Amino acid sequence: MSGEGEHQLEILLTKEQIQQRVAELGEKISRDYAGVEELIMVAVLRGSVYFAVDLSRRLSIPFTLDFIGISSYGATAYPLGVVRITKDLDFSITHKHVFLVEDIVDTGLTLNYLIKNLKTRNPQSLRVCTFLDLPGRRIVDVPVDYRGFEIPDCFVVGYGLDYQERYRNLEEVAVLKKRIRQQKTQIPTDFSG
Amino acid sequence: MAVITISRQFGSGGEEVARLVAEKKRYLLVNKAMILENLRSYGISDDFDQFDEKNIRNIDRAEYRELEKKRRHYLKTIHNFIYDLAIRENLVILGRGGQVLFKDFPPALHVKIIAPLKCRLRTVCKSYGLDEAVAARLIEEKDRDRQDYLRQIFGYDWLDLDLYHLVINTGIFGLEEAALLIVNAAKVKEETGNVLNSLPDAKIQEQNFTVSQVQDAKGNAPSFAHPSEEEFAKMLDFYQIKWLYEPKTFPLEWDSEGNITVAFAPDFYLPEQDLYVELTTQKQKLVWKKNKKIRRLREIYPHVKIKIIYGRDYRGLLQKYGIEEKGE
Repeated sequence: MSGEGEHQLEILLTKEQIQQRVAELGEKISRDYAGVEELIMVAVLRGSVYFAVDLSRRLSIPFTLDFIGISSYGATAYPLGVVRITKDLDFSITHKHVFLVEDIVDTGLTLNYLIKNLKTRNPQSLRVCTFLDLPGRRIVDVPVDYRGFEIPDCFVVGYGLDYQERYRNLEEVAVLKKRIRQQKTQIPTDFSG
Repeated sequence: MAVITISRQFGSGGEEVARLVAEKKRYLLVNKAMILENLRSYGISDDFDQFDEKNIRNIDRAEYRELEKKRRHYLKTIHNFIYDLAIRENLVILGRGGQVLFKDFPPALHVKIIAPLKCRLRTVCKSYGLDEAVAARLIEEKDRDRQDYLRQIFGYDWLDLDLYHLVINTGIFGLEEAALLIVNAAKVKEETGNVLNSLPDAKIQEQNFTVSQVQDAKGNAPSFAHPSEEEFAKMLDFYQIKWLYEPKTFPLEWDSEGNITVAFAPDFYLPEQDLYVELTTQKQKLVWKKNKKIRRLREIYPHVKIKIIYGRDYRGLLQKYGIEEKGE
């Protein structure tokens, strides 16, 4: 698989592998939450949207879908560099079962903040489902109850994950690599002088 | 959400103008009473009188350090509170450095209310039942406090007109008229978009945010040995993870007389995680010495949790957050 410009994409997870795993997760989660009333599925914007939508189609239990967005380090213009909620939940999660859907858990910094924030709202329970897990990059320990795939330490894009807002819409997950420019020696074929 | 910040000279009627604007726009008014009420839940309402729009002065060095630590915590809490509020509500923010806190927030409208001293004296005498001499002292003191506050906390001159979209003289306009002017200005700004730009880049470079200095969990601002450590500390701060910089040195080897010959001080300690973090940006082939020390540390202190972030991990973090690596 090729990329554009300076980058090259190498497929790590195919569309079929992803869909099969999402179906398995959907079945497991449906079993685990069977009989639970008032389940709220909280998808973390924006990366997890693709996963959350596919996963939600595989759930056979009733649930309410909600979204939460938080600012990312390096992207804040405020003088105080502190993470902020950019889109809060529309529904109250107090005394309800919450199922948090992430695209990727690597350092655990974002998830650690989200868990702390959501727990202050007193949910009945809180579980985490991530599409990808990179335990090799973990800085802080965070609980992950369901994971799609555990992957090695690399920079991945696709299926919601982006690089500078690109590649989210790939149906596969690919490793983003810097393209090695091949120095081609131009051999002149036309000697006119 | 929309934000209107109102800065005011003492006695210019800025408080009343802010109240009228909030009423007309149906925005939430963030003033002294509102902040005080909400800070009770943060357990820092006792600090309000001491730090609200005030400068720290006339105290000895040790006391200053202690107070400064408390003040940083107070300011961080209040600024976070205001930022979080702005995500959910339309606000009229009276004072408290709102014009700097939301300086780079394009939809914000920043207003300064001023009035000639004569008018302010008249207002203060009438409002507080003071004679003119006492009122003059009070005005001078209050204005100086607010001016020093903005300079000390944000590094800005209170009277720097670049900070404001609109300056209204209530010696000319009445309070009701001033409020109408602001409401109309907000309307014009909403309709025409944000054509006004923030301050030039050079100015931004100059600013000195006391409260945004990297501080550890005890409120100290350590001197980092490498820019990567400071960047990492900022990352932890961003995600509200408490940290301490090199708080502990672990002896690793001793000579025959029991003197420590080799020791190791991990860069960070994260108290909530009970975790030490060592950050190294050295090339992989050069980290063997450090790895050896960490292996030894794990042997001698098996209960100590330590995580190493190697150069490639650190560069991965920077790539993730779209940050360029800083040099030595």
